[in-house]
Amino acid sequence: MRFTITREKLQEGLSAVGASIPSKTTLPVLANILVETTDKGIRLSGTDLDIAVATEVAADVDSPGGITIPAKKLIEIARELPPNPVKVASSGDQRITLECGRSKFKLLGLPKDEFPAFPAVKFANALRIKSGELQQLISHVAFAVSTEESRPILNGVLWELRADRMRMVATNGHRLAKMELPVNGGGGSQDLIVPPKALEQIRRLFPAEEELEIAKGENHLGFRSPLTSVFTRLIEGPYPNYEQVIPKDNDKVCIADKALLTSAIKRMSVIASDQTHRIKLSFNAGMLKFAVQTPDLGEAQDEIPVRFDGDPIDIGFNASYLLEVLRFIPTDEVKLTLKAPERAATIEPEAWKDPAAFLALVMPLRLVD
Amino acid sequence: MPRIAVLASAVADQIAAGEVVERPASVVKELVENALDAGASTVEIVVEDGGRTLVRVADDGHGMDREDAPLALARHATSKIRAAGDLVGVASFGFRGEALPAIASVSQLVLETSTGDGEGTRVVASAGTIERVEPAARRRGTTVSVRQLFANAPARLAFLKGSRSEWRAIADVVTTIALGRRDVRIVLSHDGKEALALPPASSLQARIGAVWGGAFAERLLAVEHAHGPTNVRGLVERPADVGTASRRVHLAVNGRAVRDAGLVRAAEAAYRSTIPAGTRPTLFLELTVPPDLVDVNVHPAKAEVRFRDRWPVERTVEEAVRHALGTFEAGAWFAPRPAATPGWAPMPERALLAAAPAAPVPLFDDDAEAAAPGGVATAAAAGAAVPPDAAEELAQRPPAEVLVPPLVQVGRTYLMFERADGLVLIDQHSAHERILYERFLRQLASGHAPSQQLLFPLTVHLGPAEAEAFEQHAALFAQLGYRAEGFGGHTVLVSAVPAPHPRFDAEQCLRDTLAQLTADRFAATPARHERLAATIACKAAVKAGDALSADEMRALYVALATTELPAHDVHGRSTVVHLRWDEIDRRFGRA
Ligand SMILES: Nc1ncnc2c1ncn2[C@@H]1O[C@H](COP(=O)(O)OP(=O)(O)OP(=O)(O)O)[C@@H](O)[C@H]1O
Ligand SMILES: [Mg+2]
Repeated sequence: MRFTITREKLQEGLSAVGASIPSKTTLPVLANILVETTDKGIRLSGTDLDIAVATEVAADVDSPGGITIPAKKLIEIARELPPNPVKVASSGDQRITLECGRSKFKLLGLPKDEFPAFPAVKFANALRIKSGELQQLISHVAFAVSTEESRPILNGVLWELRADRMRMVATNGHRLAKMELPVNGGGGSQDLIVPPKALEQIRRLFPAEEELEIAKGENHLGFRSPLTSVFTRLIEGPYPNYEQVIPKDNDKVCIADKALLTSAIKRMSVIASDQTHRIKLSFNAGMLKFAVQTPDLGEAQDEIPVRFDGDPIDIGFNASYLLEVLRFIPTDEVKLTLKAPERAATIEPEAWKDPAAFLALVMPLRLVD
Repeated sequence: MPRIAVLASAVADQIAAGEVVERPASVVKELVENALDAGASTVEIVVEDGGRTLVRVADDGHGMDREDAPLALARHATSKIRAAGDLVGVASFGFRGEALPAIASVSQLVLETSTGDGEGTRVVASAGTIERVEPAARRRGTTVSVRQLFANAPARLAFLKGSRSEWRAIADVVTTIALGRRDVRIVLSHDGKEALALPPASSLQARIGAVWGGAFAERLLAVEHAHGPTNVRGLVERPADVGTASRRVHLAVNGRAVRDAGLVRAAEAAYRSTIPAGTRPTLFLELTVPPDLVDVNVHPAKAEVRFRDRWPVERTVEEAVRHALGTFEAGAWFAPRPAATPGWAPMPERALLAAAPAAPVPLFDDDAEAAAPGGVATAAAAGAAVPPDAAEELAQRPPAEVLVPPLVQVGRTYLMFERADGLVLIDQHSAHERILYERFLRQLASGHAPSQQLLFPLTVHLGPAEAEAFEQHAALFAQLGYRAEGFGGHTVLVSAVPAPHPRFDAEQCLRDTLAQLTADRFAATPARHERLAATIACKAAVKAGDALSADEMRALYVALATTELPAHDVHGRSTVVHLRWDEIDRRFGRA
């Protein structure tokens, strides 16, 4: 194998694939990037066995072939190269030379046959979705997934595809985020549970205006643009029935200024326990009061004007859950609905003029008495 | 020289009666105590053949005159009390007037004594009968020689053990007295060989060092605590050392060495959760209580005392020891707090800090012994280095003031930081376990655990044993924040869970805790709530292998620094390991 590539193209390809290389692995070849020649240039591939990323970049190929190269070293070298064409050649199964201007490197790689095969996913009947729409869903929802090992399903993001809409939902059982977009002419209906790490790659790798082909294999999902493809393992369902826990009868409604609300909660967080982050909210006519008490540390109070005319209610929350959700509220005002101190509260954008719909639930944090 | 008089029989009858002289060691004890009561500053004890052949105790105390010397051998003859009322708060070891006559009655006894002015006196007695009283040359002081002990009491002779074990008992008795009376020079020899030669010591630690070696003494932690009228001082073993050497217990109440299982239990209770079950710490504790609250006249050999109200005394002992363990750890392992500059400061140059010791100055070092004046030095010296309120402050400082040094995580298992005197590694799991244990215990005591409501109730299927364990502990689980209902069979439906930290996995923790509770159902257990707190803390804590963010590391450090016993996890393992520069330097051959 022998090819010449610009420094920029090499860096571009490596930065796409680099994030899929595991930082710690027991299988040595996974620390390497697979480099193969194609018709138009070269393809770089990396995987941690959960997610695989491959991308093609332009190069002048002298002789075809493939080899795996230690990823970390290759990326570091590419970063430091002078702005000259880079000549890469392999000899035998494992030896690589890389020349750029007067710089010359020899590296030891591993044979390309040791690199794991990518999952078999057929793109024949692929769905087509605009990358930007997917990105919008991912960036509003993926944060809410669980990290608890005992509930692996909640470690994934539920992606519901329907004829006229698609929706993503994520929760850790304490709070939930849900976003939905109208789509036209999509295929049949599917529920997929996708690891957030894969979604993060999707969000990062594809330009917003690009149209993606999406296809499901047996246990895998593939995303493909003309040059780049991502494959991910799917989490086996079924996802819990989240619709059932979305409150329909929250009769106390509060409209608050998002910036005021956020900064008041941030002030309370200073005093809230580092571990539980508990703060108390008291909703009263026209006024939302905050209070926090942490033994051994101190206490704090605050209040902000709000629109609220229901019966007064006191309710405790993990402040960091509230702050997290508020970050994703796209409007200046935010709508909270409540029912009782042990029931879920909803948080939504207020007066959002967008075809999308966003809703978050936060469960209260009470004190045992 | 106080005069000797025979107690009125009404007084004598009120004195705890019983066998005074059981074995050679009791003879030694009584004679040495007499010497100390006489104000001796040097006591020399000579023993032959485990005390069967000879016990001789010589002192430089006030001695007796010709008139008193024979009286000393009469029953109920004492110079130390006159009336029953004097028994309250009696400060001398002796008060019965029983010891010398009891010893004399079972031996050949020679008493040589002198008050220092004029001629001395020799009293020779055989089996309790005075044979001669004659002039004798002697410096001020008294020598009592006891030969052929029990020769006329074959029943008791038969009960004596081998001379080695009688000797061991004697050495124990002398050591015990020596620990309490550090102002006195004490020399003990057996069969012509010197066994102990203890110069006056300035502190308990110095005396312990003189008996068992300085290294042993230096590892002990100072106890210094008062509650109401009760004062507890002394030295106790570091939790990490417990079980590594043979255990010693020395208890004294108002200067009198006593046995008291209750006080020992109270001191041991302070170690709970820092040492493995079944191991017991070395303790040297000296209590001061108002004399009217303690009765010393309850045991024929004065080996026990009775407290008017023992509960507050036991509680104070437990507090004292716990405080010592906590203060030591908080002070010893965490980054030094700068005296004046508040806020965070970068780690200063090692050399700079090394010049100004950050740790409290050791209470005793080798020079102190030489520097100590020959006069009376008691445990008061031990407390002087750390004023009690400073220690108090150290233990109670609020978390906001904890100065967090730059921390790095190593091996995804330890947090490492630099101190003036070395490197410190904190085991993240053990440390977190300790933090959570104390928090859970507080929550069990006071309630108010935060409980996170769940969107989807957890359905937890349990085995029969786990279900039973859950049932048994249901109220405690609820207090910790688990809201759960039985759901038929062995299934529980959990609708709210504790929220001790962001990584907490409620279901896994519940399962693991129940599994553990069923596994060691028959293990020796302290109170049920403590065991639950320990188990659940272990299961809820971050694990080795968890990568921690910088914020998490800081939070862990602060929380650990503000626990009561930061240096030990709930199994008694260390949470903290200290690598001293000198050790590291030595390994690099830089010594
Ligand atoms: N080494 C000594 N130096 C001076 N006086 C002594 C010495 N030993 C004994 N005596 C005198 O002899 C008395 C009797 O001693 P003995 O030990 O029999 O009784 P005690 O010490 O008064 O009471 P106890 O029986 O409780 O020990 C003492 O009260 C003391 O006055
Ligand atoms: Mg006596």
